[in-house]
Amino acid sequence: MNYASSIQATGLVALPPWRSRLLFALLLLGLCGLLVRAVYLQGIHNDFLQQQGDARYGRVVDISAHRGMIADRYGDPLAISTPVESVWASPQDVDATPQQVKQLAQLLDMSPGELKGRLSESSRDFVYLKRQMPPEQAEKVVSLEIPGVSLRREYRRYYPDGDVAAHLLGFTNIDDNGQEGLELALQGQLGGKAGSQRVIKDRRGHIVEDVASIRAPKPGSDVQLSIDNRLQYLAYREIKQAVEQHHAKSGSIVVLDAKTGEVLALCNWPSYNPNNRSKPSLGVLRNRALTDQFEPGSTMKPFTVAAVLEAGKVTPDTVINTENGVLTIDGRTIHDSHKEARLTVAQVIQKSSNVGASKMALSLQPEAFWRNLHDDGFGESTGSGFPGEAPGKLRDYRNWRPIEQATMSYGNGISVNLLQLARAYTVFANDGELLPVSLLKEDVQPVGKQVYSAKTAREVRDMLELVVQPGGTAPQAQINGYRVAGKTGTAHKLENGRYVNHYIASFIGMAPASNPRLIVAVKVDDPSGAYYGGEVAGPVFSKVMGSALHVLNVPNDAPLGNVMMPSGDIVREDT
Amino acid sequence: MRSASLTGRQQPLAEYDEVLAWLVLALLSFGLVMVYSASIATAEASKFTGHHPTYYLIRQALFIGAGLVAGMMAFQVPLLNWQKVAPYLFVAGVLLLMLVLIPGIGREVNGSRRWLSLFVINLQPSELMKLFAVLYAADYTVRKGALKDRLVKAFWPMFVVMVLVGALLLQEPDMGAFVVILSIAVCTLFLGGFNLKVFGGLVIALPLAFAALILSSPYRMQRVVGFMDPWSDPFGKGYQLSHSLIAFGRGEWFGVGLGASVEKLFYLPEAHTDFLLAVIAEELGFVGVCAVIVLFGWLLIRAFAIGRQSAFLDRQFAALTAQGIAIWLSVQAMINMGVNMGVLPTKGLTLPFLSFGGSGVVVNCIAVAILLRIDWENRRIMRGLPV
Repeated sequence: MNYASSIQATGLVALPPWRSRLLFALLLLGLCGLLVRAVYLQGIHNDFLQQQGDARYGRVVDISAHRGMIADRYGDPLAISTPVESVWASPQDVDATPQQVKQLAQLLDMSPGELKGRLSESSRDFVYLKRQMPPEQAEKVVSLEIPGVSLRREYRRYYPDGDVAAHLLGFTNIDDNGQEGLELALQGQLGGKAGSQRVIKDRRGHIVEDVASIRAPKPGSDVQLSIDNRLQYLAYREIKQAVEQHHAKSGSIVVLDAKTGEVLALCNWPSYNPNNRSKPSLGVLRNRALTDQFEPGSTMKPFTVAAVLEAGKVTPDTVINTENGVLTIDGRTIHDSHKEARLTVAQVIQKSSNVGASKMALSLQPEAFWRNLHDDGFGESTGSGFPGEAPGKLRDYRNWRPIEQATMSYGNGISVNLLQLARAYTVFANDGELLPVSLLKEDVQPVGKQVYSAKTAREVRDMLELVVQPGGTAPQAQINGYRVAGKTGTAHKLENGRYVNHYIASFIGMAPASNPRLIVAVKVDDPSGAYYGGEVAGPVFSKVMGSALHVLNVPNDAPLGNVMMPSGDIVREDT
Repeated sequence: MRSASLTGRQQPLAEYDEVLAWLVLALLSFGLVMVYSASIATAEASKFTGHHPTYYLIRQALFIGAGLVAGMMAFQVPLLNWQKVAPYLFVAGVLLLMLVLIPGIGREVNGSRRWLSLFVINLQPSELMKLFAVLYAADYTVRKGALKDRLVKAFWPMFVVMVLVGALLLQEPDMGAFVVILSIAVCTLFLGGFNLKVFGGLVIALPLAFAALILSSPYRMQRVVGFMDPWSDPFGKGYQLSHSLIAFGRGEWFGVGLGASVEKLFYLPEAHTDFLLAVIAEELGFVGVCAVIVLFGWLLIRAFAIGRQSAFLDRQFAALTAQGIAIWLSVQAMINMGVNMGVLPTKGLTLPFLSFGGSGVVVNCIAVAILLRIDWENRRIMRGLPV
């Protein structure tokens, strides 16, 4: 059968052309309708649709800000923030094989069970799995390619000095906020402002596109401390060694620039490594040099003498009747370990006579004595700004009894912190001018407050030089090639309101005595065995001060070989 | 030949409709690129694909290859043979639709039982059925031509057949395929010059029946009307549509760029099949959507031209087959695009030539091959050559 015949067989149907045209037109019209709809959706109504889209996959994510660096006075880093990655998950999006869960748990250092527990917190869409991993470890997590598990850039604080400056710097918490020490005090400057960014995330929580930065993160500012890292190391090494040698409870040391009042070193032992996330007990965390107040003992005597000299009641050569080392006031007896019938004012300092100091103090009106001590900075904070600094205690003179005024002359019944005490010694180093202290580097010479006349200050400084000479309480504090002026303290500790036979041994001194450059204050709490300030704290002072003067290239003001140890016993003191 | 046309000389008549062939190749290649773009993220993330990002790309390329081979083979078959086997093909198609429903043989995906597992290939009988319906309806119309004004004899058999096919397709369910097949049948009878009053009646009765159907059940009402306001429940029933519309909105005029769609990143389900146009709209913007519509419009123009040419040559079966194919492809494309743009309820129809899917691509290629064959035969007849 050919085609023509087949058409013949079925050729009874006629196809009306208008029907074909109508249908064709309707179909084309349909396509045109779709074109119009597309114009409406894509060109006109698109604002609303894009808003809806943004609401679904546009999200705002925080961007951690970089925390400022803490540097020492020469710019050496003491605390720096390094980038790390935190692993987080959006539990509802997580889709992992048991094998992947196992691998992830291993990388995150947790058990698979624990990880599953975290991932089942389906009510939340953001769960940290592990904070602050090293970037190379985080890379491995990424390479597992588990949907719903992502990284977030954060910063982790790193302290290159470790335990050397731990107390001073303090530390931050995991969110990079200061918790202790200068990290806390300087949070305003160091802490940046986290920024935020608008991003598009896929349905599984991965960021696929950065749309716009809403707010750029504002990095924190760097802070330069007054600390000299080299001196900090020195001081730390020596105080640690002394505490261990004497089996003491603790020790603190402060090094001040005698000209500017800047703190060049400040440390304590026991210390801790702030790079460890687990922190030790409060006792170890405490910055004892600032937060602990103690009765200073004999290191107060120079202020008593200065007050009396300033009042014109005595000269350095005035002879005081020291009553063979025993003086009874209001039924209480004051003793000297080194008993003398008579001492000059200078010798009272040199041999640390309690009786002599008490007599001088009692020659003053309470208010005048109080005024002097107050002007030396006792009884109020040093203004260091360190969190938790103890202001010390200087009681109101109106409540003083004579015995109290007497004991205060040798540092009982008054309490101070070590920095406060060191600062007070600036009056002797600076011809009577009390300098403010600072933990931050000062660019301009700070203005001090004249407390004593230069003459008085120099006279006391001369007396302080006698302390380290043979016949004084601390020949061990001498330094080869430099003249040293200082004062020992050996204070009984107060426990439950009573003095007990435990001691705080201290030495505060300055060098070169001819023109003091540094003040070093050493305090050792409860040494076993030897406990005199000269014996325990004196050598620490000598080593730290001696090395520091070398480090700072301070010219000698004494011939080398000037150290003279006494032939007989070293003079003891009772406070 | 090309240089000849440039010099303005008379161009000899081509052997076949080159424009149509190029149109389809353009649609297939464009679809391949977009299927890859739309599927890359989901393929990479899915265990089912073995985390191969090119999983769908490779398969679609193979489908297109198979489609081209099948098309070339179909082109060799004289139209007369198609006409002869049309009723048998239709019966075979109905049998396959029954087979699909038998548990163990039919494969269920996403709650629809639409596939037959043939070793490595999944066959979707409803796609085949669309082609068979075109052939059957054309043959039926030609055979019943003499009775076209006798209501019962002309319409009754087709009505019964449609009820049967409809029942089978709604069992799967595959509402979309049924709508396409019904459109093919009704339009072919209409083109065949059948009694106008019946179509007038249909134009009135069908919408009324439809309205009655949905009004009688709040559930059905919800399903049908739901598409009109996807924003009332954008995270539930309106989820898919709202994301499709967002994709259109994000695309604007020129799109966010090829590969840059966000919607395809697990938000928009079926991005590489039913909702491929949404990805095109997002990545290539109105320009991309417009290109798709223009390509289908052009295809429609060519197919109707071939159909009218056949009618002019008194080749009724060819005319009806050509126009039936045009109706099938354009109705399916329009429904798919309408669904993507939120003007029609969600149906589960793919975009011909473009969407991922083996049965669809192969059957569409065969359909175009038949169109080309009809045109080729027309040209031979006009030159007085045997077919």
